[in-house]
Amino acid sequence: MDFSQLLSLPQLANALALASLLTILSSGLALIFGLRDVMNFGHGALYMLGAYLAYSVSGALGFWAALVIVPLLLAVVGVVFEYGVLRPLRKRSHMDLALVTVGIALIVGQIVIKFWGTAPLSVSAPESLAGSVSLFGQPYPAYRVFLIFVGFSTCAALAVWLKWTRSGMHVRAVSSQPEVARMMGVNTDRLGLLVVCLGTGFAGLAGVLAGPYLSVDPGMGATILITCLIVVVVGGLGSIGGAIAAAVVYGFIQVIGTVLSPTLAVLAPYLLLFFVLLWRPQGFGRGRVA
Amino acid sequence: MSAVPPMVVAPAAAPTAQAPRATASPRRRWPLGALLAVAVLIVLGAFLPALLKSPFYLGMLINAAILGIAAVALGFLAHQCGLVMFGVAGFSGGGAYLFAIAVMQFRWNVLGAAAFALLAASVLSALVGALIVRARPLPFAMLTLALAQMLNSVVKITQYRDVTGGDDGLPLNFAGSFFGLTQAQLARPESFWPVAWLALCGVMLLAWIIGRSRTGQVLRAIRANEERMRFSGFDTYWPRVFAFTVTGFIASVAGVLTALHSAFASPELLDFVTGGNALVAMLVGGAGTVAGPVLGAVLYVIGQDQFGASGHLELLTGIGVVVVIVAFPEGAMGFIRNTFRKWFKTP
Repeated sequence: MDFSQLLSLPQLANALALASLLTILSSGLALIFGLRDVMNFGHGALYMLGAYLAYSVSGALGFWAALVIVPLLLAVVGVVFEYGVLRPLRKRSHMDLALVTVGIALIVGQIVIKFWGTAPLSVSAPESLAGSVSLFGQPYPAYRVFLIFVGFSTCAALAVWLKWTRSGMHVRAVSSQPEVARMMGVNTDRLGLLVVCLGTGFAGLAGVLAGPYLSVDPGMGATILITCLIVVVVGGLGSIGGAIAAAVVYGFIQVIGTVLSPTLAVLAPYLLLFFVLLWRPQGFGRGRVA
Repeated sequence: MSAVPPMVVAPAAAPTAQAPRATASPRRRWPLGALLAVAVLIVLGAFLPALLKSPFYLGMLINAAILGIAAVALGFLAHQCGLVMFGVAGFSGGGAYLFAIAVMQFRWNVLGAAAFALLAASVLSALVGALIVRARPLPFAMLTLALAQMLNSVVKITQYRDVTGGDDGLPLNFAGSFFGLTQAQLARPESFWPVAWLALCGVMLLAWIIGRSRTGQVLRAIRANEERMRFSGFDTYWPRVFAFTVTGFIASVAGVLTALHSAFASPELLDFVTGGNALVAMLVGGAGTVAGPVLGAVLYVIGQDQFGASGHLELLTGIGVVVVIVAFPEGAMGFIRNTFRKWFKTP
């Protein structure tokens, strides 16, 4: 095995492209978990809904319109999710809520199949990103560069919001000490609504971005959900920074592992999850223990 | 006493309720007559094919029995430990693959292979249980899910294709007979039914007896308040490992039966969706009794028959799960029992 081939630039870029998609999804999942204490097993289904909506919207209005409209539509779904599910059931256990979101995932999946059918669809990248760019002398698909850019600028924006704004500070406070934050006069309900909308909106954004990068099919949600759960748990439940770090690590393990040893690439994420949950339940970051 | 439905364990709170009620109640003695009636029912049930001639409905009942066994495993763990297993497919499918490997690689006869699969699955689940029973419910659920997904990925790895059959699965050729049943007979619903039925009754009885035993009481007390049990001088770790092992054993019975009946081990058995069916059956039926998950499995198989072709099954399953969790946390069996109690004012 030639190591120069392993760590070539396109390989690194591939790892980052996968990581950026995972980051967007996992940070949404981590946000919702942090604020609402819900492990949202419906996140994959929302991502799939986003991808299918993006297929229709970009067919009618173009990719750039979809990039704006679909996350907003998914944020509206988030409002419904918050008022219809999370608020009425807030007194129930983690497990009950997780199971309800599993049920919702099944329902959303069937709604998608009802409207769009089961055949895989393809979304083409917009013309300006269809070609390839030169990455230090090597050609590389322009769309993936765009994906990496959007992924990491979303993370940066999220980090800025969490770190330097008042509402961001409140989100961090509620994520780490819900009771104390409430006692200090933080309106957790309003914040919860905002964060759930943001989380589902992120799922929509990831769906739009995934269209030209992966295929759009009814199984896409379930496949990525397990990956995202691993990323969120490994990163530390409710910890955004941890989730981002874990997503990057995961991306590298996948891309480099497939070249080096496929067996290892398949097993590594699960072994990582076992290790983290059993020996360091708080994850990489300073997450809370579920 | 005869008004009480059979196979009812001590009254129990919903397995996932946030504030578990105290569940220990004095054990009721079962009159000899009721026990005899149950025994007669079990024996008569094995002769069902003489009554029900349709292979289609018998096949459906066999599916319900196998799904019911997996659901009993889940219900047992949920009721006794308050833990929900997302990855039951890892144990049922794992049992099926162990059986398949014993048959095809070691060339053992069917009975030996089945015994090996059950034993190996139990030992493995004891090891896994020793690692993970201490996790809290949500991490526990994810750990079992990850285990199942991992096994699913492992059997699909092309390097092990000779052993596991890869994506295509592993067709089996049995050597010897299973209690006098040849491979062709095992594939036929009317001759396979007694095997499935007796296995179902066996695991229900096992779950019921353990639930009523002292271990069962200790387990439910640990579920209610682990810390207090520890302070009271009880060992809270090994009983849970034991319960997990029993769960893994019961789930592997379902897997071995599937492999016996279909003579095939497919990666689909290890799929999240397969485990999901059992989970749905358990939730819909209710974990509080041993019969609840079986009722759920029967309802699920009927739903599959009615709506499977139109593709509405998953939609209904989703709606069913949401409605049951929100409105009937004790499942169909709990609902029936509560209504029954309200009407007849039995304590």
